[in-house]
Amino acid sequence: MSLLTVTALSKSFGERRLLSIDTLALDSGQSYVLTGENGSGKSTLLRILAGLEAPDRGCGRYGERPFDWHPYPGWLRRQIIYVHQHPYLFHTSVAENIAYGLRARGVDRGERERLVAAAIAWARLAHLLGTPPQKLSGGERQRVALARAWVLAPQVLLLDEPTANLDAESRLQTIDLLRGFVAAQTTAVIACHDRDVIELPDMQRLQVVDRQIRLAPEPRCG
Amino acid sequence: MRRISKRPLELLDATQAALHLLLSGDADLWRIVGVSLSVTLRAMLIAMPLGISVGYLLASARFPGRRPLIVVTQGLLASPTVVVGLILYLLLSRQGVFGQLHLLFTQTAMVIGQVLIALPALIAFSLSAIQGADPRARETAVALGASVPRIAWTMLVEVRFALMVAVCNAFGRVISEIGCSLMVGGNIAGVTRNMPTAIALETSKGDFAQGIALGIVLLVVALSINSAFAFFQGESRR
Repeated sequence: MSLLTVTALSKSFGERRLLSIDTLALDSGQSYVLTGENGSGKSTLLRILAGLEAPDRGCGRYGERPFDWHPYPGWLRRQIIYVHQHPYLFHTSVAENIAYGLRARGVDRGERERLVAAAIAWARLAHLLGTPPQKLSGGERQRVALARAWVLAPQVLLLDEPTANLDAESRLQTIDLLRGFVAAQTTAVIACHDRDVIELPDMQRLQVVDRQIRLAPEPRCG
Repeated sequence: MRRISKRPLELLDATQAALHLLLSGDADLWRIVGVSLSVTLRAMLIAMPLGISVGYLLASARFPGRRPLIVVTQGLLASPTVVVGLILYLLLSRQGVFGQLHLLFTQTAMVIGQVLIALPALIAFSLSAIQGADPRARETAVALGASVPRIAWTMLVEVRFALMVAVCNAFGRVISEIGCSLMVGGNIAGVTRNMPTAIALETSKGDFAQGIALGIVLLVVALSINSAFAFFQGESRR
């Protein structure tokens, strides 16, 4: 049973047709790695699924419920979380960043503090709590962003190149967190060129080739 | 009040007398300072939420007439305060549309004038502050499920230092403007006489002491505002 299905989806920028997908079906609880050459439309596809961009055409179904992008429904935003390749942290504090989505969902204070503490422990961020978010390194930012997504227990998680441009140590820590997400009952799509992410257990491989989505039999690295 | 000769050699005496006025807590002098601050603070309290909201809307929403509105706002940045005063005078005078309200030569009229002078600056500078924000900030708020008001609040907090620059700029404009205050306030002693109008009046009467004393206060206020301005500008670029 697929959780999220999009059909007849197309997206062009100017004259250039970037995506033209007949069907993309994501199964509940399954993790996918999305590969494809630079500029092949991986990021755009994730942004469309997250409702940050609208396709030119296309329809979607979430479980039994149909949806489209005009406008992208609020109830779907609560299910799907997208994390930028270079995540943006609000100029508040690490803890406030993690609490942001919980506040938006009206989670009361006690519960919020409990969940934020759990997320901080999960992403091993305790030593960074006093550091202004703008002073964090790329890897630390990525972990705060993952904790900010994790705390919301999303049904669908969309990650854009989470290990790109990280030093070796940060990369390993990030992959460790991704392993946790993949093992959980979250449907995850990770746009990635990183072989260690691609080879995480139980990962299905999707590939953007010629504007289409294919199931890739072999790991492909860009 | 002590009269002081107009001869330049005695400017030193005038300055001394000015300092004496300031330090002795001269009631007339401090009432004038009070009128200035009270009128300007009230004007800013009204203009800030209004100007920042309009700036935010212009930066975030797409609607017909948006472009012309931005052009007009930026044009109004250059409008002479005396012309704002003239228009307001015509509206508030007995034959004017709002003549019935009897607002001419009151502090309320001065507040309205300063709101009109502050608004273009607040709108134009908060518009550019929000347009200058990282586009990922809004996307992150959206992706984390924030409602439209929460997104707006988040964006304003994210660019708070740039917004403070807008506020300082507007405050600096209105605290020192004279044209509009003189026309719709009328420079009535103890009621609508503020620092700029009093300085002009006392100087023209030859009473330099009070002019210099008020000039010092105005200068200190303006310098503090500009220091804050510079500080916030530095912070917003970090």
